[in-house]
Amino acid sequence: MNRLIRSEVFKLRTVWSTWLLVGLTAVLIAGLSALVAFVPHHGAVNFPAKGTAAWFDDLFSVMALAVDLALVLGAIMITSEFRHKTVTPTFLAEPRRGRMAAAKLVVALGGGLTLAVVAGAVALVYGLASVATGVGGIATMGTMLTEFRHVWPGVAAAAVLYGAYGVGLGALLKNQVVTIVVALVALAVVEPIVGAAVPSVGRWLPGYAAQALESVAASARMHAGFGAVSSVHLLVWWAGALVIIGYGVVLAALGSLTTLRADVT
Amino acid sequence: MATIEVQGLTKHFGSVVAVDGLSFSVDRGSVTGFLGPNGAGKTTTLRMLLGLVRPTAGQALINGVAYRDLPDPERTVGAVLESSGFHPARTARNHLRAVGMVDGIAAARCDEVLEQVGLAADGNRPVGGFSMGMRQRLELARALLGDPQVLILDEPANGLDPQGIAWLRNFLRWFATQDRVVLVSSHLLAEAAQTVDDVIVLNRGRMAGHGSLTELRQRATTTVRVRTPETDRLVSLLSEHGIQARHQSSDLVEAQGTTVEVVGRLMADNGLVVLEMTSAGESLEELFFQMTEGAQRFGAAGHPEPAPVVGPGPMPGGPS
Repeated sequence: MNRLIRSEVFKLRTVWSTWLLVGLTAVLIAGLSALVAFVPHHGAVNFPAKGTAAWFDDLFSVMALAVDLALVLGAIMITSEFRHKTVTPTFLAEPRRGRMAAAKLVVALGGGLTLAVVAGAVALVYGLASVATGVGGIATMGTMLTEFRHVWPGVAAAAVLYGAYGVGLGALLKNQVVTIVVALVALAVVEPIVGAAVPSVGRWLPGYAAQALESVAASARMHAGFGAVSSVHLLVWWAGALVIIGYGVVLAALGSLTTLRADVT
Repeated sequence: MATIEVQGLTKHFGSVVAVDGLSFSVDRGSVTGFLGPNGAGKTTTLRMLLGLVRPTAGQALINGVAYRDLPDPERTVGAVLESSGFHPARTARNHLRAVGMVDGIAAARCDEVLEQVGLAADGNRPVGGFSMGMRQRLELARALLGDPQVLILDEPANGLDPQGIAWLRNFLRWFATQDRVVLVSSHLLAEAAQTVDDVIVLNRGRMAGHGSLTELRQRATTTVRVRTPETDRLVSLLSEHGIQARHQSSDLVEAQGTTVEVVGRLMADNGLVVLEMTSAGESLEELFFQMTEGAQRFGAAGHPEPAPVVGPGPMPGGPS
């Protein structure tokens, strides 16, 4: 199993698409953080004052984007095998296909963590810069770091688990484009609709489960910025984690019984 | 000892019967050609041997076990498959390393096999820029990674240039002399005939012929023409031995389904005078056509399928 895991890590390291995702994480989070940090919102009621704890919460919540990208990374890990037909040499080297899927699940956890670390590093740079330049005049290092510690662990946990969720979804759907589109449309379109219409069901969906993880601390003192999601009563963080793990494992198991079991021709 | 053993192997794809109760075995120290026209079931059979396709019935064993039960399978079996793929952004060397790592194959071995197939200078290039022939060489390198005892190759000459084909032919011969096993499929008979010891001919998923190349050649339905003053005696002699023969003219007899060796010996044993003896049709190609005639005549849409190309070898760089 160790050799399988090493091989999967090696496969990730040796294609530029992985590094593109890492770069994309850094660039997108840098861009969105800049929006939060530099765009003035005079008079807007929903925005907390710069330099306050709530403002840092907003700044750091941008990191949640790493969670979606972790999902894409996990999906690419498995669907690229089918897309480029490398599944043939992969299965020749390890004909016990379930083990291959398990190794990918494990490596996707690490991939998610990597993206979360990149996101955290970029966000911290903004946090430190905000403190250094005395934005809003009241920012202190202590407030900034406290908020970072509130937000990052939840984001990291969600990103880690979303990596595995991506592998599971890809194992079931097989087609790379279909998998990524389905995953992102479900997150961005379907879930908010379900969440608004049937909040009691919405909380069990992967997107809201991730939010449960991401807002471990934030949910305790939900400020106006989070108002949009308040119709769904999020699960407690550990239940959210279990729900995402459940999606990953169940989808991967379904994939192992269908797509992965199929003849490779 | 049989190293590859196939028993009652059957595969249905929906209503299509791709392989139909196939049984054969392949021994050590030989190159066995797996022949048949397109759609005969060659690739499906090889993929069942390699655990990539699940048989509907029967079993395919290597060293007595199914492929999926082999420990570190790459170290026992090397496979060259047509639809195997490469990530276009990954370098050739990294492709080999990723696959080899799973069965504990060292990075140094990847360089060795790249050298062996003539890709040493291209190891650090992404495979996306490789030609068809280079991809085929890389596929061969992958098959050799684990220094396997058994090589299974599906149409390995496809896309190779003439030097590549010549190299492959020599390599397979050498490989078999190491008391190892080669099973190589081809629809190019002329190409296979230069490499193989034994042949298994497949037609529409069934065994159409099995044996050594020499045996099979002898089995070919050939016409032997004999000019002799004693035509009556010859015709009755041949008939006594179950050989179809008839008078063509006053001094010419034509015998069907036999060889000059058989007729010549019979005539010598019986003291008949031979003025001239010729044979026609004793070629592996014709035998191959005969064995796979059904497929030629009764193609899917009632039209003859295109005949297998029999020639000096494939053009390099063509699509497969």
